[in-house]
Amino acid sequence: MTSRLQQTKGGFNFDNHVRNTMMEGKGMGIPKATKTGTTIVGLIYKDGLVLGADTRATAGPIVADKNCEKIHYLAPNMYCCGAGTAADTEMTTALISSQLELHRLSTGRQARVVTAMTMLKQMLFKYQGQIGAALILGGVDINGPHLYTIYPHGSTDKLPYVTMGSGSLAAMSVFESRYKPDMSREEGIALVQDAIEAGIFNDLGSGSNVDVVVINSEKVEVLRNYARPNERGVKEASYKYQRGATEILKTSIRNLVDIKETVNIHTPEAMDIS
Amino acid sequence: SLRLAPSSKASSAGSASVLDTSNSYGLHDTMRFGMRQIASEVSSKHPLENRLAEWDNTQMELKMNMARNMYGMHAPIKMAMERNLVTKARGPSMLPQRSNLGLDILAGKDESIDFEDFLN
Repeated sequence: MTSRLQQTKGGFNFDNHVRNTMMEGKGMGIPKATKTGTTIVGLIYKDGLVLGADTRATAGPIVADKNCEKIHYLAPNMYCCGAGTAADTEMTTALISSQLELHRLSTGRQARVVTAMTMLKQMLFKYQGQIGAALILGGVDINGPHLYTIYPHGSTDKLPYVTMGSGSLAAMSVFESRYKPDMSREEGIALVQDAIEAGIFNDLGSGSNVDVVVINSEKVEVLRNYARPNERGVKEASYKYQRGATEILKTSIRNLVDIKETVNIHTPEAMDIS
Repeated sequence: SLRLAPSSKASSAGSASVLDTSNSYGLHDTMRFGMRQIASEVSSKHPLENRLAEWDNTQMELKMNMARNMYGMHAPIKMAMERNLVTKARGPSMLPQRSNLGLDILAGKDESIDFEDFLN
């Protein structure tokens, strides 16, 4: 048998750290991870809460995804918007969603929003901010609607209206001037849409469409691409050349493969049933 | 004694052992880690490496110390006894296995999922 059975643990592997630092020292940087740039917002209205997000993902100066989904499912009564490194937000929310499902099966009750917040903040603190996920967690549980922000190092806030991401200042300016408690559903959605559009038009890291999710105690409505202020214009003229625009001077065809067709007539034999 | 998180410096910082990069034969694994460089083994570890490696042990120690402070000496002794029963005292017919179900249940890992469960 082997001399030493070292149990290989799963999780993150730091073997390449030495090689990466050496490469950075020589001038070859790490490839840029896809970030979400982002404007994400959340607000509490009379019956529940509204979450909103833009849909642009950037890789450096290039738009990597024009219509990505930034509002992730966590539980039937909870959704989470994610800003920061796209892979980190997706993996983190997927992992916490699985943990919440296990927790729900074990307790037999609907999950509370504080549970998800605690799981997220403990995980992000454990990784000391190396997991670049800035999240807005919103949900409705037995105690009513709750809205939390979670920063990459693990700190959290509990507030009635929040914004995160590179477009957070543009969106927060809209919220600060027009937010009032106990808004109706339509007012809440309109305010969220205006805040996201402020981020879309004033921040380079945010763009494309507006996603909205409305959560109340009875149901959740996922309004994907609720507003599309950046639709591409239809081209007015056709740039296709008509057939015959280019004159054919000479035609020569060379067969690379000799194609021969033979037809076999197959007469079925009578069945032998002796 | 009531340490919440492990330190970022490894307790054996400044020393390297062959076991860090060993393969199943106990020697340095050139295929996975390249030619053996003592300098890189001693210095420049990622700040998270030691933190994550020691995380479970640190949490366990925290629980044991808090239980000792709150309930008395018997509480951590019972916890340690249960852990020994599932790790050391195994039946003669049991094959050596990597994953210990008893240990997972005692640590609460049977009802949770973490990066090490799917990133491996």
